[in-house]
Amino acid sequence: MTTAAAPAPAAPARAPRRTSAARGRVTVNAVMVAMILYFLLPFWWLVVAATKNNDALFSTAALWFHSPASFFDNLRQLFTYNDGEYLRWMGNTAIYAGVSGVGATAVATFAGYAFAKYRFPGRNLLFSSLLGAIMVPATALAIPTYLLLSKVALTNTMWAVILPSLLNPFGVYLVRVYVQESLPDELLEAARVDGAGELRVLFNVALPTLKPALVTVLLFSMVGTWNNFFLPLVMLNNDKLFPLTVGLQSWYQGALIQSGANALFTLVIAGSLVAILPLIVAFLLLQRYWRGGLTVGSLK
Amino acid sequence: MSSTRLPRSLRRTAVATTSAALAAVLLAACGSSGGSDSGSSSSGPVHIKVWAWYPDFKQVVDQFNKTHKDVQVDWVQAGVGQDEYTKLKTALKAGQGAPDVVMLEFQELPTIQLTKGLLDMGKYGANADKGNYVSWAWNQSSDGDHVYAIPVDGGPMTMMYRADLFKKYNLKVPTTWAEFKQEAVKLHKADPNAYLTDFGSDETAAGWRQGLMWQAGSRPYTYSASKLPDIGVNLNDAGAKKVYDYWGDLVKNKLVDTTSYATTDFYNGLSTGKYATYIAAGWGPGYLSSVAKKTAGKWRVAPLPQWTAGGSDQGDWGGSSFAVTTQTKHPKEATEVARELFGTSEAAWKIGIDQAYLFPLSNPILNGAYFKQKKYAFFGGQQINSVFVPAANGISTFDWSPFQDFAYNTDTSEVGKAIQGQTDWSAVNDDVQSQVTSYASKQGFKVNK
Amino acid sequence: MSLLRQQGPALAPASSAPAAVAGAPTAGGRSGRRSPGRSARSRHRGMGLLLITPFTLLFLAFLVAPLAYAFWLSLRTSTLVGGDHFSWFANYKQTFTDPHFLSGVRRVAVFGLVQIPLMLGLALLGALIIDEVTSRLAKVFRMTLFMPYAVPAVIGALMWGFLYSPTFGPVNTLSHALGMGKVDLLGHSLMLTSLGNIVTWQWTGYNMIVLYAALQGLPREVYEAAKLDGAGQIQTALRIKIPMVSSAIVLTLMFTIIGTLQFFTEPRVLEPTASSVISPDYTPNLYAYNLAFQYSEFNYSAAISFSLGAVVFIGSYLFLFATRKRSGLK
Repeated sequence: MTTAAAPAPAAPARAPRRTSAARGRVTVNAVMVAMILYFLLPFWWLVVAATKNNDALFSTAALWFHSPASFFDNLRQLFTYNDGEYLRWMGNTAIYAGVSGVGATAVATFAGYAFAKYRFPGRNLLFSSLLGAIMVPATALAIPTYLLLSKVALTNTMWAVILPSLLNPFGVYLVRVYVQESLPDELLEAARVDGAGELRVLFNVALPTLKPALVTVLLFSMVGTWNNFFLPLVMLNNDKLFPLTVGLQSWYQGALIQSGANALFTLVIAGSLVAILPLIVAFLLLQRYWRGGLTVGSLK
Repeated sequence: MSSTRLPRSLRRTAVATTSAALAAVLLAACGSSGGSDSGSSSSGPVHIKVWAWYPDFKQVVDQFNKTHKDVQVDWVQAGVGQDEYTKLKTALKAGQGAPDVVMLEFQELPTIQLTKGLLDMGKYGANADKGNYVSWAWNQSSDGDHVYAIPVDGGPMTMMYRADLFKKYNLKVPTTWAEFKQEAVKLHKADPNAYLTDFGSDETAAGWRQGLMWQAGSRPYTYSASKLPDIGVNLNDAGAKKVYDYWGDLVKNKLVDTTSYATTDFYNGLSTGKYATYIAAGWGPGYLSSVAKKTAGKWRVAPLPQWTAGGSDQGDWGGSSFAVTTQTKHPKEATEVARELFGTSEAAWKIGIDQAYLFPLSNPILNGAYFKQKKYAFFGGQQINSVFVPAANGISTFDWSPFQDFAYNTDTSEVGKAIQGQTDWSAVNDDVQSQVTSYASKQGFKVNK
Repeated sequence: MSLLRQQGPALAPASSAPAAVAGAPTAGGRSGRRSPGRSARSRHRGMGLLLITPFTLLFLAFLVAPLAYAFWLSLRTSTLVGGDHFSWFANYKQTFTDPHFLSGVRRVAVFGLVQIPLMLGLALLGALIIDEVTSRLAKVFRMTLFMPYAVPAVIGALMWGFLYSPTFGPVNTLSHALGMGKVDLLGHSLMLTSLGNIVTWQWTGYNMIVLYAALQGLPREVYEAAKLDGAGQIQTALRIKIPMVSSAIVLTLMFTIIGTLQFFTEPRVLEPTASSVISPDYTPNLYAYNLAFQYSEFNYSAAISFSLGAVVFIGSYLFLFATRKRSGLK
């Protein structure tokens, strides 16, 4: 292996090299530590702030604990405030992310596979409009989509959030590239020669190979929906249908514009912490898959 | 999806897809079944959908539903403030999706009314309520015999102050704006980290600034829906200029702070004693006692400082009403809900006063003994409404424009520039006037000064 | 950062991906040639159509139809008093002389010129580091940088909003301790910097992972050979790695430019707390939003959105044209 051989030719220059390499290592580590601290800062703040009561939140040092026991008090309030509407929002978010994630992945898989392996009328036109699709600002689509959905009485229902989220041009693109890179025609032909129908080829031969791409599309679609704020904000008029993002924003807005006797800052903060945990855990646990999925384009 | 079992034919997948879709429908339907149908069957009570964001409103709704047999309220919190208006405007544009009854702040009424979104409740007997409400509020909710909203709560302005800090720094409770400035100088000199108050520079405080101009006699608009397309726009009248000259001077000399009201920093300032006064409205005590709990007992309420000694000019900041939208299928019942949710109901107002800190605009409640004599522990047991009620009754009439968001945003931007020193304070009113005038003309209004 | 970013993953724009796209028709052709007979070919065609149908329907319903509708809206003029009428391109004529729109475009352009190179530079640096170093620290580094991507932009802006606070935010505590006085991070002069910081925090890790994926796809032999020739790590990175993933860099750059021109979420979330600085026309997208949702000017808002779309389209087309050799897109 080349790696094993590497040190040998470098031997003559070893002594000076090593010190410069060591210095390089220290620099690199210092850079990494500095960046880690910067990127962790808001998370650290969030964890600390979630353990404070309303008074301590505004009067004690932002980055250190003050009354850690308040954390449980905040959590209890979070889950019981207004008949536990936070839990409802969490459930809604899970439904939105789950249904649109699975749906978008299915749609993108079929479409990406079709683009890669079949010819059909309108194929090139449809594909070339994919890139155009991402250049359209979502604000441009919000009003007309709302008006169109309201004509079929779908606004202010869960469908108004789920249906538009099923469209994921990036996912289609990703699957198509992945299919072209990792699924040779010969493999499919061989299955066909063995007498497999088109669907059997798709489900038995293609899908197992596509797993990393599917996990990637699924995870990213779910994150997209979980974190989406604008679409549900426009579409939903009923707080019982809100996802977490819109619900938390409405609490925050309420606390800020002095609408009444309830300053909900502690709830907003504890709620934010609880809202981002599932995604971070999902990304950590599944990182082997999605990193594999993102690498697809470069597999030869 | 990645199942290894093979569907044999396309038809089978079609079936599978359909059933998956159906399952999703059911799932979603379960989630959305709560209170979304406000239609009525021929038997049973009529359900009226209400959008509102009052605190502790659920109890008021329960109270209404308990005492009404034929009409029941389905309450939805569609959003707070601007978020709710955005949704209402979109739903009105779409022709469906608006509630039967909606909570609207007074300054939003003409804007929504102009889109033909508000039902004239005058046709359903609402004129009978005219005498129940303070006259300036009724004026803002109606246009002659056309009634577009029923007033609920108001925001007469007063000055809340920290009695302990006033004592510590030997300050005198100012009764005029001239005295206010003297005390501001004195306090800031004694403690460079403290300010007598914070100048509300953001959009949330646009109503605060307008309220102060209201007190100073400014009447920026002359508008009545029945006289369209005529509108009078006079945002740079003497009263408006007087207010910005005064506050611009305080800001320039760093005698007041300029933190945005819609920030935690502002509330922080209230609870730490950075600000010795809070110039606020009738709903202010509720907010103050919530964000500055640990200062309980140290606050007192005094009347708003006056421009002329011995005067009693008042202003209002905020307040809201119930309107019925033109999309309602039950105009009669919706009107009933708007009139009676709070109305003159003592039970509802007990919740509104004790828990939500709403300031009643309903005469019998406002001038009733319970409200007037209520003691507030947060204010050291002071009967604060002995200050607030005369302020509410002393407010004179005031018109809003049907493009109030634009006007407030423009004013906020110009004030922001003046605070940064990019423009001079004396130019703010004129700049706002010219921008709003040209906007109004472009929108088809016939603008008079 | 932008709305589109919430919709899903960008593909890994690695070196071979664009080439594969360009070569796509060949793949289809090959399978056509091999198919045993006419019936099989039409069966394939039917299968292709069947598989693409759900996507096509969604595409028509949630992209083409709303766009067509918005375009129709943009050709009409309406005022608060006096109703609306068909006015051809009058709205468009107005947009390109509208100072609110133009100042917004200028603002995001200035913003992008500083923020994009900074963010992508950091992302590239990070990618090169984790491509080379495999220590445990590097793993922690990789995940930490990526974590902000999983945070909803609303919550991200909210957290930074607190951290920027002039009274209890750590930045001000620090500057106070150093005797530098108050730093108004939400004031006129620093607002763009503060927004840029939020965007950088949120998106650096994501871009880093995409670039890292491209780096991982490179054949190791090439730079191992370079190392044999005595090239240091920095030289390997500069002379070999970066040029070899240049197409990935170009594509992340393009998506970032598109996102920047559509800048919306962060200013919209900070708007309530800093409304005297973030005016309704702060960015073109925010302007379009406020026109429609605050002022009920649905028609003019649609025209602004399309004009912005045109700017984005022309901008990215020019960019791709200028870098076409590197990106491999034709």
